Amino acid sequence: METAHTDKNFEQKLNHLTDNLIKMSNIVEKQIEIAVNVIKSKDSSDAQTTQNLDEQVDEVERDVRDLSFEIMTLHRPVASDLRLVFTALKVSKELERMGDHSRNLAKRAISISSSFDEDLTDQMHNLGKGVQKMVNQTLESFFKKDEVQARISWNQDAEIDRQYKSLLSDLIERMHNKQTSVVDEGTKPILIAKSLERIGDHATNIAEEVIFNITGHYIDLKKSDFE
Amino acid sequence: MVDQNSNYALQTSEVYVHYGKKMAINNVALNFPKNEVTSLIGPSGCGKSTFLRCLNRMNDVIDICNVKGKFLLNGNVDIYSPDIQVETLREKVGMVFQKPNPFPKTIYENVAYGPKIHGIASSQNELDEIVKDSLHRAGLYEEVKDRMEDIATGLSGGQQQRLCIARAIAIRPEIILMDEPCSALDPIATAKIEDLINELKENYTIIIVTHSMSQASRVSSKTAFFHLGNLVEYGETGKIFTKPDKEQTNDYITGRFG
Ligand SMILES: Nc1ncnc2c1ncn2[C@@H]1O[C@H](COP(=O)(O)OP(=O)(O)OP(=O)(O)O)[C@@H](O)[C@H]1O
Ligand SMILES: [Mg+2]
Repeated sequence: METAHTDKNFEQKLNHLTDNLIKMSNIVEKQIEIAVNVIKSKDSSDAQTTQNLDEQVDEVERDVRDLSFEIMTLHRPVASDLRLVFTALKVSKELERMGDHSRNLAKRAISISSSFDEDLTDQMHNLGKGVQKMVNQTLESFFKKDEVQARISWNQDAEIDRQYKSLLSDLIERMHNKQTSVVDEGTKPILIAKSLERIGDHATNIAEEVIFNITGHYIDLKKSDFE
Repeated sequence: MVDQNSNYALQTSEVYVHYGKKMAINNVALNFPKNEVTSLIGPSGCGKSTFLRCLNRMNDVIDICNVKGKFLLNGNVDIYSPDIQVETLREKVGMVFQKPNPFPKTIYENVAYGPKIHGIASSQNELDEIVKDSLHRAGLYEEVKDRMEDIATGLSGGQQQRLCIARAIAIRPEIILMDEPCSALDPIATAKIEDLINELKENYTIIIVTHSMSQASRVSSKTAFFHLGNLVEYGETGKIFTKPDKEQTNDYITGRFG
């Protein structure tokens, strides 16, 4: 990275901040991976794991918040240091939300009956895999400070949205046709798909932070928000 | 004589300064927009004071100092032209130093001296008004109004510095140069001076040398970063302190040296 700081104490705290973000990213990636698998496996102990991991995520997020606050108060960061702290605060918030969504979707997934429409399950699982890949690539772009990769990830969100919408219209169509196995689950599959789509949105936000962190500017394009 | 259309109070280009054989400023070009505060930052010895002193010919008195370059006031006055009298120039370009340096005279005399010798006041009444107004603008009037005849050296450091600013503005300059004006002051006195700088920019163009990054970011709208006699980067202060273009600037302002 850059030349070392003259103030070693400050340097250490900045490194610690980055370490915390790496740690948090690893946990959330794990959480998403498990949650996406639960869509198919309906494994309740895995669903419980996403819940446990969520507590760890919350804890690291608090650490990031406190450390950022300390750095801002005691060291008055500017330029690349300021951008790092700013980005850390925002990225950790996005990660925390992604964690919540994965936990929720895993919990819903195990409550869906095993007789649920197989094609729809596959579609949800695929959407999940796509989101998972996007998240991994976005976080990689963050730690590698790779602007090109961040822009690629950012653009993937459109594909995620497309898959999400097509899944929704399939679901609605089957409900219209009174396909019992779908109707019985009510809003659960919709909420699962929604959670996945939201994780994609949070990844997009992270990609925007990555681009800001590298360039000092926010990406100017704005996509429509579905929430 | 004054080009009202120039957006710059001062324009400099191809500036080289040598002390004997030693180069102190190496081909610097820098313009100072009117009614804005520009800060000059950079490590000790990089040439900030040398450059600042060129702007009102303070280097003239240093025998071994050789200044070359173009210096234009208000778009058309060459400040190094033989037609220009240094006294006249300093009426337009005032200076405040690192250490407050009031004359060992009364508070009143300190402020009145400049307008008197430059013939700015036509009557005692007018002079009194100028003194009062300058002290007021320097944010010192309330503190000294009942002791105008006291010797100025009896004031606190922060008060002395504000007195020096009052003295500088009493001659109604267009530009005020400040070389680390707060380095000897406590945080409250510093805050008062910074507040004052903010107010002064309504009427003056200010160029300030500072070692405090937070001060530069608080008071100035433009920042110039010097290193080893070179101007490394110049730009909007907000930009310099969030995303400077040069790695070297980033390293300096974030405290990464060497
Ligand atoms: N009167 C002088 N005679 C000889 N060399 C000088 C003189 N004044 C300054 N210099 C040299 O010129 C270079 C620039 O000095 P200058 O005082 O302009 O630096 P500066 O950026 O203001 O530093 P500081 O932040 O320490 O005040 C230094 O190498 C200094 O030693
Ligand atoms: Mg100096």
